[in-house]
Amino acid sequence: MSSCHGSTPAPTLDRSATATMPDALRVLLVGGPNVGKSTLFNALTGARQHTTNAPGTTVELATGTWRTAGLSESDPATERSIVDLPGSYSLLARSSDEQVTADAVWELARSTGEVAGQAGVVVAVLDATALARSLYLLAQVAQTGVPLVVALTMLDLAATATDSPTAGVEPDALAAALAASLGVPVVQVDSRSRADGGMRGLARAVDAVAARPRQVIGIATPEPPRNGVVTDIAQDLAQAETLFAWVEQVVEQVNASLATASDVETHTGSGRPLRRTFSDRVDTVLLNPWAGIPVFLAVVWLLFELTTKFAAPLQGLIGQLVNGPLASGVTSLLGLVGLADGWVQGLLVDGLLVGVGTVLTFLPVMAIMFAALGVLEDSGYLARAAFVADRAMRSLGLDGRALLPLIVGFGCNLPALAATRILPQARQRLLTGLLIPLTSCSARLTVYVLLASAFFPDHAGTVIFAMYLTSVLLVLGGGLVLRRTAFRDVRAEPLILVLPPYQRPHLRTLAMSVRLRVGSFVMRAGKIIVVTMCVVWLLMAVPVTGQHTVGDVPVADSLYSAVASGIAPVLAPAGFGNDHAAAALMTGFVAKEVVVGSFAQSYAVAKPSDAARAGSLGEQLRASFAQSSGGHGGAAALAFMVFVLAYTPCVAALAEQRRLFGWRPTVSALGVQLAGAWLLAVLVFQVGSRI
Amino acid sequence: MYRCCMTLPESPLGAELRVTGVRLPAADAFRLNEMGIRLGTLAHVTQHAAFGGRVIAVAGSRYALDGRTAALIDVEPVTRLA
Repeated sequence: MSSCHGSTPAPTLDRSATATMPDALRVLLVGGPNVGKSTLFNALTGARQHTTNAPGTTVELATGTWRTAGLSESDPATERSIVDLPGSYSLLARSSDEQVTADAVWELARSTGEVAGQAGVVVAVLDATALARSLYLLAQVAQTGVPLVVALTMLDLAATATDSPTAGVEPDALAAALAASLGVPVVQVDSRSRADGGMRGLARAVDAVAARPRQVIGIATPEPPRNGVVTDIAQDLAQAETLFAWVEQVVEQVNASLATASDVETHTGSGRPLRRTFSDRVDTVLLNPWAGIPVFLAVVWLLFELTTKFAAPLQGLIGQLVNGPLASGVTSLLGLVGLADGWVQGLLVDGLLVGVGTVLTFLPVMAIMFAALGVLEDSGYLARAAFVADRAMRSLGLDGRALLPLIVGFGCNLPALAATRILPQARQRLLTGLLIPLTSCSARLTVYVLLASAFFPDHAGTVIFAMYLTSVLLVLGGGLVLRRTAFRDVRAEPLILVLPPYQRPHLRTLAMSVRLRVGSFVMRAGKIIVVTMCVVWLLMAVPVTGQHTVGDVPVADSLYSAVASGIAPVLAPAGFGNDHAAAALMTGFVAKEVVVGSFAQSYAVAKPSDAARAGSLGEQLRASFAQSSGGHGGAAALAFMVFVLAYTPCVAALAEQRRLFGWRPTVSALGVQLAGAWLLAVLVFQVGSRI
Repeated sequence: MYRCCMTLPESPLGAELRVTGVRLPAADAFRLNEMGIRLGTLAHVTQHAAFGGRVIAVAGSRYALDGRTAALIDVEPVTRLA
């Protein structure tokens, strides 16, 4: 099976989170999920954007610079700071993501009202196919008193959706009718258009409203002002009823001015049968009680194959290029300046270049995963996947979509972690991200094959199967434990999901999204990988015994070996407290593929070309494990495999966790993984050695 | 709470229905209201899914509801069922 590392060796939101430029106009994009908000953000900012986590949370915020050339001959070029806030149905938040949105809007409202010259504007993104739902959120935003512009999206879908209240309505007429009813600028945008797509009009409207704010007709700021926190459901419902009535009034006004007696009224029966849309017809297959689950599993299988077998040749090619021509080139260059064969060459070629090579080999798998997820998301299938898999993940309090990264994790943990972005809530993303390292990636398989073949040659298949079963049990058990401890707030909520219409993914938008996400991985996770590789090289390059110079030292005499010897006693209760096993586990922290090579290196035998035929390496392993376990080598080998399964998958996965969730959860998870792996290994050995 | 003729999972595919009761916890019912499904709202069931899940059409939008949630929403037919 292909390896996931290719062939390379070894709670409130402050202003700083939503402002990228101190004096620039602040623009917040607010809208419901799947209304085209992020596509609009990408169209406005291009590559001038980056992602950060909102302070004190794991909620990802995309911030960027919205730059326009002079909108007229007399206008100068303008830059605005813009934030793509998490999709939200309401400012009365029910998740940390929605809370970030509510806090940002209220913070803007306060700063706009209190500090002269610190202007800000909210662009409320309205889905033309679901006006009523979008208008409710707009009404809540308007209640805060922030200057407001409306961006109207999904007009192409509205025109063709046969049962939409806005079906067949001219976009210009709809925008004009809405603007007349709301009293604020309404701009049609087509973020996928190669042409302007309404972006200049949106810029003009935002600048005009910033200079001269207008109030939404029929909306007043309630007294006392709310702050986005649900405190009293009855009071909230009473206030919401006022907004529901306002929404109905606006919809009626728009319908009246468009002279289209809507086919789909909200409270009076039409008496007509439902007009089935294209999406309805597709859903008769994809959501069918019998076909829906097999289709979902087929989609997951395809993702699994893409991120393992399809990516492997590309990873291998990059690994060969880095380790071959690139390493030779750097070595030659160093020779020209007289730095060959020294520690400088070792650091640059065996440390830095190996680190860069590791990052580069991950690029294909990450790009493939981001592209595949983008296709699933843009096409509208991802929401269906959440619905189909809901039952399977409900016991863990997770969205059905969590099943997808968890299954992909059995191929490679890294793209699986990246795939957590499809989950709508930050706490669910974190919980899933903490469970993914427990899925047994393909890199661990080489270790299982080696040890199972060496210690249980007649039952190797059964032992390997048991490891995968243990992995599934660890994910389920870990999930249940976390839900009852650190994630008590993550509960199985009723699934009420808006299903977007199916549509063809837009290649240009998709390509931009993949480029930005891969770039974020390289810049944020890549640095950690490179630094770690350099530290590993340093440990191996510094001599502690014998007469050696830095960079020219056998592993047995290096600081690396000394550290391994220091760790070995800690592993003694698990039966594998020997230097060889400790060194292999240290190497395995970098990448699990190199554990077999590390064993071969430390026993000074040839690495077997096939792990199932361990040969002399197997004999050495049996001897040293038998010695360190008091004659219970088999139990010690099982314990070692369980340790490999349960501890940190690799430095790249760790770096990706840091990128997604920040240092604190990552370091905490690392500690729990190491402690958990040790406890499990000790348990397996202590029980196994007594049977 | 008043319970009308049937629940969503009991409703036939394609029939026009009016929401007459929502027996979810208050916070969940509130979110349902915010999303556009309220007492009196007209809906059609467009798809039966696994484990009692239902897809309903409301004002041009499609909402997926898991089986347990759907069973707590009461509806009545707007037109006489065949």
